[in-house]
Amino acid sequence: MHRAAHTAFCDWPQFVRPAMIRQSLKCTGCLQNSTRAYSVVPAPRDSEEKEMMHRMLRVDHAGEYGANRIYAGQMAVLGRSRQYQMWDQEKKHLSKFNEILAENRVRPTALLPLWNLAGFVLGASTALLGKEGAMACTVAVEESISEHYNSQIRALMESDPERYTELLQLIKEFRDDEMDHHDTGLEHDAESLPGYWLLKNAIQLGCKAAIYVSQRV
Amino acid sequence: MAALLRGLRAGRLLRGLSSVVAAPTSTTPQCSSRGFHCASLRLKDESKSDKHSASSSYSSSSSTTHNEYTSQQDSDPSSGDQEQDEEYETEEQLQARILTAALEFVPLHGWSMEAISAGAEAVGLSSASTGMFINGAGDLVLHFISQCNSKLTEILAEQHNQVQLGQAEPKKTADFLRDAVETRLRMYIPYMESWPQAMSILLLPHNIPESLKHLSTMVDDIWYYAGDRSTDMNWYTKRAVLTGLYNATELVMLQDSSPDFQDTWTFLDNRIQDVTNMAVTAKQMQLTGEAVAQGLMGAAVTLKNLTGLNQRR
Repeated sequence: MHRAAHTAFCDWPQFVRPAMIRQSLKCTGCLQNSTRAYSVVPAPRDSEEKEMMHRMLRVDHAGEYGANRIYAGQMAVLGRSRQYQMWDQEKKHLSKFNEILAENRVRPTALLPLWNLAGFVLGASTALLGKEGAMACTVAVEESISEHYNSQIRALMESDPERYTELLQLIKEFRDDEMDHHDTGLEHDAESLPGYWLLKNAIQLGCKAAIYVSQRV
Repeated sequence: MAALLRGLRAGRLLRGLSSVVAAPTSTTPQCSSRGFHCASLRLKDESKSDKHSASSSYSSSSSTTHNEYTSQQDSDPSSGDQEQDEEYETEEQLQARILTAALEFVPLHGWSMEAISAGAEAVGLSSASTGMFINGAGDLVLHFISQCNSKLTEILAEQHNQVQLGQAEPKKTADFLRDAVETRLRMYIPYMESWPQAMSILLLPHNIPESLKHLSTMVDDIWYYAGDRSTDMNWYTKRAVLTGLYNATELVMLQDSSPDFQDTWTFLDNRIQDVTNMAVTAKQMQLTGEAVAQGLMGAAVTLKNLTGLNQRR
């Protein structure tokens, strides 16, 4: 709350991109659309599409945020390790989604503090099980996220592939990164953890629940 | 929140459907709402030319407008002639026109169906067309609110444009918020006497979702133009703070009798100052807390060193 209110009332530089504002003045009703030619998300045609896009972006943002916190938890316990490079990539993903959310005026999910805590606790507790535990957690989470991105890609392809070209490209790129992380986890003896099957399924169930909830709240 | 908005959409859909059911003309549901609308347009023409009584012309015109509508449907919509395009407006646009006209009569009749029927007559329609407005006075108030919000957004966008072009200095956030809230509340001044009635209408249970939606979009717009691009809990806290500010100032304005509502703007200034002070204090507390935590960590490490726990054997 403190940081929020403080930044609210200190000098706030106006760094909204000029092109967006020029476009927005053309039609006062379309203020929420970012109509730059090179923007990732196309301007929504109607409120239904806007709802759908916002929901998609909101849950993706929440997912990347959670993944970041999981890696942070793992790093807090294990110190600098192989997780570090994967965490760097996740940070890039998160900053990209932050950018997209700000540009399209998407509301972030209200459960962010919950994912903050839950992600950190999950990362830290699996790391306490050792390096294999951390890798197993990575495998489970990355598999869930890849599946989720795949279903989004499928949905976008079904509706209108040309319209969503840039967005599809972005999601595919992120999905490939997550699959890389998944494979890295498997390479580093994730499966040798005792109780691997149980842990993996529990984490994946939690991820599914988190995705379901973040889409709606 | 998404569920709330979906519920609103469903509610509005149901209202649309029920207004369709209320229209007595043709059989197919798609035609009937437009049939009713065409009938009212026809009424407008006939009342201007013949001065027939509303009911007789309505019943005779309903069949003819049905025929006219089917012929309209048959013709290619993309190449419709100019006259058809000019005559044709959606039901929502017609409602908006009536409600805008009705606002002039609010000081006289208050926020009520009388004002809406006076507005309908001013536009040239029969006062029976108020049957379109199932929510009655609530429709009028909500229409006014959304009109005020659009005006505010236009003003903020214009200001922003000025800043982008370098023709104006960017304001500090606190000043920006104060000006935005003041501009928005000043739009209520012509209706100030009847505003308590409007507020109580907005508090009716079936109006609350819609009025909350208008409030939240207004607050979101103000923060967007103030430069907020946050994507974490700050998004929520900032909007909550501004909502509180706005509501409190609106309530003060209701009871303000000073010239040009000077007391209200002073109140607004003071509240914004309070929030700023609180933010500064909170930031200081946070820094202090972090420093204390670091001090404790340092002390713990020192102790471990002294007791030899840190040594690796």
